[in-house]
Amino acid sequence: MMDELSPLRLWLMRAAFLALTVVLLFFHLLPLDTQPIALFAPELSPPLATIDPAEARLRALLDQGSDRIWIAPDLLIAFALAWSVRRPDYVPALLLAVAFLLTDLLLQRPPGLWALLALLACENMKTRGRTLRDSTFGAEWLAVSVWLIAILMLNRIVLSLLLVPPPQWSLSLFELAVTILTYPAVVFVTHALMGVRKSAPGDLDSMGNRS
Amino acid sequence: MAIDRSSSNDFGRPLRRLLLAVIVLVLAGIFLLWRIDSPRVERFRAQITDRIVPNLDWAMTPVTGTVNLFRDFQSYQRLTVQNQELRSELRKMQTWKEAALQLEQENARLLDLNKVRLDPRLTHITGVVQADSGSPFRQSVLLNVGARDGIVDGWATVDGIGLVGRISGVGENTARVILVTDTSSRIPAVIQPSGQRAIIAGDNSAAPPIDFLENPDLVRPGDRVSSSGDGGVFPAGILIGQVAADPGGRLRVRLAADFERLEFLRVLRHHGSEKVNEDAAVVRDDATGMIAPLPFDPATE
Repeated sequence: MMDELSPLRLWLMRAAFLALTVVLLFFHLLPLDTQPIALFAPELSPPLATIDPAEARLRALLDQGSDRIWIAPDLLIAFALAWSVRRPDYVPALLLAVAFLLTDLLLQRPPGLWALLALLACENMKTRGRTLRDSTFGAEWLAVSVWLIAILMLNRIVLSLLLVPPPQWSLSLFELAVTILTYPAVVFVTHALMGVRKSAPGDLDSMGNRS
Repeated sequence: MAIDRSSSNDFGRPLRRLLLAVIVLVLAGIFLLWRIDSPRVERFRAQITDRIVPNLDWAMTPVTGTVNLFRDFQSYQRLTVQNQELRSELRKMQTWKEAALQLEQENARLLDLNKVRLDPRLTHITGVVQADSGSPFRQSVLLNVGARDGIVDGWATVDGIGLVGRISGVGENTARVILVTDTSSRIPAVIQPSGQRAIIAGDNSAAPPIDFLENPDLVRPGDRVSSSGDGGVFPAGILIGQVAADPGGRLRVRLAADFERLEFLRVLRHHGSEKVNEDAAVVRDDATGMIAPLPFDPATE
């Protein structure tokens, strides 16, 4: 078990989190989704076929049947929360701030605000990690869901106060639901594949102290 | 538990809290700075994007290609049926082609008679779409052409058929195109044949609504919507789409461009249309209200 606690492993896992951020960003940025979500799109009238049959025909031919109806969960915040609960020292505040700020900048969000709220959520989950360690997964899931809802609301409130148009309600709620539903899978990946586990009582932390 | 803590940790904890406070302040500062001085931070964002995204290109291109290949499999299934339909349509098309060729020749002759100069300064640069906005809330794409290629903020971007968006945020090697569907997109447009002016305001749906229409009664579904040009950098007369209505009765534009798969986009170079800035000074002398004297005397010429 000493191997798990060595400084080398600590820094490796920190680097791994940064790498995970870049990989998630990479998949977000792939130029595959260039059309708006078709889920809440209104049905237009009159149908194109009645006013311009040739154009409608052309569109039917070009249609690749890949309407965008699915919103990807916000995996970065899910992973950040899961890691924060399990191993706070793998995700120090500075690392989280850099990762979230980078995401803000690259994904065209107002820079800083989401990063700030996500960081606060993660820091709170870190302090709760000790109590959540002894309870069931349900309690953790609930706590995470509450925080996700809280930062979503806070984000909207701050944006509205500063007269920045907040993101669409329907899309935000959809993304929130998807993120919460995928959280167990994220925890499974974190636990089983990445080997980020809760420290058992009596384990030594990186400084050689009992946790 | 607290008894076990060594002194180093007791020292470390306030330090960590201080660090957290500093980070929180910095993040809040960045956000407020963005709110106050948006263009500066947006330029910084464009620079960061410019540094990072082109470096990912070596991996993005093959992954995108692979995903698109799998998506194509779905459409391959319809291929035979489509092929037959297309053949029969092609036969009908041949007759139309003849008609079109004759008209084209006639048109060329007439243009020659008129000596029409068809906006010669409107040339284009073609860019490859490198990345999308990465979030369902924003509609934008990143092109692999930038300030190096002379791209200027505000220029129009089209695919083969219609308007796609306008440039907003130029880095050295990349430029961001805010699509017509984005919530921050506002395109001044003119609706033909009635000639009504309006603003096409994106709302993150596939068919953006038509705002600030003077007289909606003159507009019917199917009318052509094209850009009216503004700011001296956005060319007029680019096709945007056709008018349609949603169930609520609101007029929207059915976009002409194919947003399903944006791969190559044309950025239209436009160096501004000449404006008449001095009102009537050419014709009238302001002080006297008299016809101004000509700068040279034709008699001595």
